[in-house]
Amino acid sequence: MSTTPSSRNTMKDRGIVVFGAAFVLRLLLTCLFPALPDLLTGRVEVSTPVNSFKRLQEGLFLYTRNVSPYDGGVYHQAPLLLPLFALLPDAKSSPLPTAIFYFLVDLLNAYALLKISQSGQSVKSRLHTAVRQHVRWDGVSVAAWFLFNPFTIATCLARSTSVFTTSGILFAVSNAVGGNSVNAMLALGFASYLSLYPTLLFIPLVLLCYDIRAQGPNPPKIGLYVVQHAGLLLASIAGLLGLSCLITGNFWEFISATYGFHLLVPDLTPNVGLWWYFFIEMFDSFREFFLGVFWLHLASYVGGFTVRFQRQPLFVITSLLGVFAVFKPYPSISDASLFFAMLPLYRHLFPLMRYTFFAVSAILYSSLLGPAFYHLWVYAGSGNANFFYAITLVWSLGISILLADAVFAALRDEWEQQNPDQKGAEVRQV
Amino acid sequence: MPAAIRNLRSNPHFLFVRLPKLLSLLCIVVGVAWLLLLPLNEYSRRTYISENALLPGQVHAYFTGSEQNIFRGYKKELEGILNDETKDRAEVTAGYVSRGGHAEQLLILDRVSDKVQSIFEEAGLKFARQKYEYNSAGITHQGENSYAIIHAPRGDATEAIVLVAPWLTADDKLNLNGVTLALTLARYFKRWSLWSKDIIFLITPDSKTGTQAWIDAYHDMHPASVQPLPLKSGALQGALVIEYPLEHRFQTLHIVYDGVNGQLPNLDLFNTAVSIAGGQMGIGANLQEMWNHDDSYENRLQTMVRGMTKQGLGYATGAHSSFMPYHIDAITLQTKGEGWEDEMALGRTIESLCRSLNNLLEHLHQSFFFYLLMQSNRFVSIGTYLPSAMLLAGNFTIMAIALWMRTGYYPETKSVQTKGEKAPAEEKAKTSNIAERKLALPLSLVVGLHLLGLVPLWVFNNVSHQYFTTITFVVLGVDIILPLSLAAILSNGLGLSKPLIPQQYHLIKSFSLLLLGLSLSTLATLNFSLSFMIGLLCTPLSFMTRLQGAAPARLATSGLGLALLNLLSPPTVLLGVCWYTGVSVETVLTEAAFGWDVWGMWTQVVVWCVWWPAWLIGGVLLGSSIF
Repeated sequence: MSTTPSSRNTMKDRGIVVFGAAFVLRLLLTCLFPALPDLLTGRVEVSTPVNSFKRLQEGLFLYTRNVSPYDGGVYHQAPLLLPLFALLPDAKSSPLPTAIFYFLVDLLNAYALLKISQSGQSVKSRLHTAVRQHVRWDGVSVAAWFLFNPFTIATCLARSTSVFTTSGILFAVSNAVGGNSVNAMLALGFASYLSLYPTLLFIPLVLLCYDIRAQGPNPPKIGLYVVQHAGLLLASIAGLLGLSCLITGNFWEFISATYGFHLLVPDLTPNVGLWWYFFIEMFDSFREFFLGVFWLHLASYVGGFTVRFQRQPLFVITSLLGVFAVFKPYPSISDASLFFAMLPLYRHLFPLMRYTFFAVSAILYSSLLGPAFYHLWVYAGSGNANFFYAITLVWSLGISILLADAVFAALRDEWEQQNPDQKGAEVRQV
Repeated sequence: MPAAIRNLRSNPHFLFVRLPKLLSLLCIVVGVAWLLLLPLNEYSRRTYISENALLPGQVHAYFTGSEQNIFRGYKKELEGILNDETKDRAEVTAGYVSRGGHAEQLLILDRVSDKVQSIFEEAGLKFARQKYEYNSAGITHQGENSYAIIHAPRGDATEAIVLVAPWLTADDKLNLNGVTLALTLARYFKRWSLWSKDIIFLITPDSKTGTQAWIDAYHDMHPASVQPLPLKSGALQGALVIEYPLEHRFQTLHIVYDGVNGQLPNLDLFNTAVSIAGGQMGIGANLQEMWNHDDSYENRLQTMVRGMTKQGLGYATGAHSSFMPYHIDAITLQTKGEGWEDEMALGRTIESLCRSLNNLLEHLHQSFFFYLLMQSNRFVSIGTYLPSAMLLAGNFTIMAIALWMRTGYYPETKSVQTKGEKAPAEEKAKTSNIAERKLALPLSLVVGLHLLGLVPLWVFNNVSHQYFTTITFVVLGVDIILPLSLAAILSNGLGLSKPLIPQQYHLIKSFSLLLLGLSLSTLATLNFSLSFMIGLLCTPLSFMTRLQGAAPARLATSGLGLALLNLLSPPTVLLGVCWYTGVSVETVLTEAAFGWDVWGMWTQVVVWCVWWPAWLIGGVLLGSSIF
């Protein structure tokens, strides 16, 4: 990108304003409504068993008293979070340091997003150049969309540990587009270590790294490149697991309490996803089978998207994040907010999307009706579980429509690039 | 059919401009007509008891004979103390209810509380007191609850029933007979060995604050100004409030059931009360102050509309209302009219009701929580009535979607030419039939005006009560000035911004109506009546638009339209309703602020953050045709 020094300076000023305003907004919300963080921490839409701050506090309590944090079956998050939070002052008596720590993590995530946007990979990769490559938002606007998204703010105020997974993923991508493939693998290793599912992003991420590397001199063979990086990823995960083992002492206990929990989905607390209701309804004898089916379904998108969009690996990552927000076992609004954060990178696809209004309406409806129906079910006692589940279906539908529409737009963009004479022609089913 | 669709496609003006209006109008008409159909036999149902365990009226009530002497004795003792005290008002110490400078003051004094305590303790009940204080709109409400518990001989103190007797009824009348009856029943119930649930007798100083303070403290949710409860029992299964403010025999029972924010008790509780009062005791049961209900369509409709008004306004209609947010089903039994039923008949009714509740194996859950009653034995359930509010909310959504489509697919060239403005270059240059939308300004205007609603919300809940009338007129003034000035800025720029293009007006309206439809349909699931009322008042907003045409006619129409629109603004509606019912604005708003502070009522949020912003945007759109 060729920007003049003066425009770069105004960019910088705007960046400072946006980041500062985001920080001040979060600080104001925390200070003006002191009950808000705890309220959000208790909401099922924000906190799931694998990212709840409340459960982290429980684990921390046990950890600081030299009891295994996994005793009692409440804590299911990675052990390395414990020494980190043990350094911070107690969140109950002095909530501000912890809150500010989370604000800073949010700003860092936005910074990573800014770097991704500035790289221009979303419009112009090695093998693909978007037709409308000049229709785009600059990095600061993309960061602002992320920082001022109510879902992001809610996640940040609720101190959900998903934000660290988000950081891992965003830094993996920003390092990958910056050509630093080793750091990208380390960051992805960190994200996978925290929440397991980011491992599925390995293939598109390594393709993205390879794309950048192949634009440089003497590109390596792709097979060897992938194997090297898989080794790197495994090494980083192994390193983190080794560290965790030092902390907890009992390797198998922590593996089964964290990854076993992710894989086998024993806790069916309601959340915005689709799994909990299915598995409540299911007979026990079918449980293993459907666990396999659900996980296989989630993983199968990786192959399909990677093959179809092999020329735009960054788009594969974006759409996979959308898939995760709907189909992973314990989704929360933080997963949706990550997907919504990546979408503005594809501003050039927006003119091609057809159902944005309906998708956004569905998402708005469900984010208002969800808490209302949950209230009717749990507090007023006048509704039942079906009320809330119906709304999580609408929520998932909204995100799915948005995702499908984005995929359609990306396909259309590729097609228009190959058939420039057909630009603007109406789509007809053949 | 395919031909009709093809015709539609070839006539974009009809598809994008006329059709949505017709559909919206259809939704409104059908929605209102639907509500009017409900009282008919075909659409409403007879009530029935769902919960088999209740067995209403299946036991003999033994509360008669010698208990009447006890009642008279207690009454005499209480009367004696009350008369002494009212003669000698200087002895006022603590525990009185101040009614915001109003003349009516009742002094519930320590000595009366002491008397109540001695009666409860003589009967062998555990007794405790709780002091509380609330501040709202510059008025202090304070008082002292006293309550006593019968521990169930056959239970394990995990469940309890509450009997409430407030010293002041919901109409601020002295409820001496009610309190005395509660004391007599306490002594009487204590001797029975058949209770499987604890019974709590709660004597509150009034119907507004006492139960709220008590129930909050029971669940440890009380603010700092309310004392915690020293004595507790198990989960509350139901609550009955006794009101007998008459000094003579009564004719009929009036059952009040509306809770805060339009929450209702389980229909089974209401049915049980009706069935026991009417069937077992032979006392008639009325609802919604319909004393001469002849089961005609008009009377049914009137009952339903009265119920909807109370539900929609969301205030506490009696001491029972405070129980509802904690999912405790509660009703108030009020004695009305002059007849030949005495306090013993009321006592037997309550005994039989307590026996029914005592039978419950689990919390009332079988029957409906969402219903509209139109006679003591006729109701409609949510599945039947919800579509009417949803249709009203849907009309806004349809319009919003249509406007969104219109901004994208239907070129506004014709209107641009008639207006004589330059068509934006992009619109002319566009090759595809999908126009880029300019979202930034419409989005920020709509979001900004919704946030502005927080200002009146804060003001009306935080200033002192004597300013309420003034502020209402200030808001009325703002309602006239703000839309016009916003319209002037938007359509002429006034150097602050570029003038808006027609597409942006459509987008503003689209977003505003989308939010309105969204909020109202969500609200319909929580408080049907409020959603329906606001929806009805907002219906003109679907059709507000920037008028085109020659100057004189346009100016006249938009001026007239604005004047009419102002008649439907929140403060005007408030003033109009107050004028019609003869209640002062200050009283209504003081009650509303009290509801916000004490009951957790959120009708105001809907008015200021949903209705008002949508109304303002309607005014801006109409006002912009002047400039």
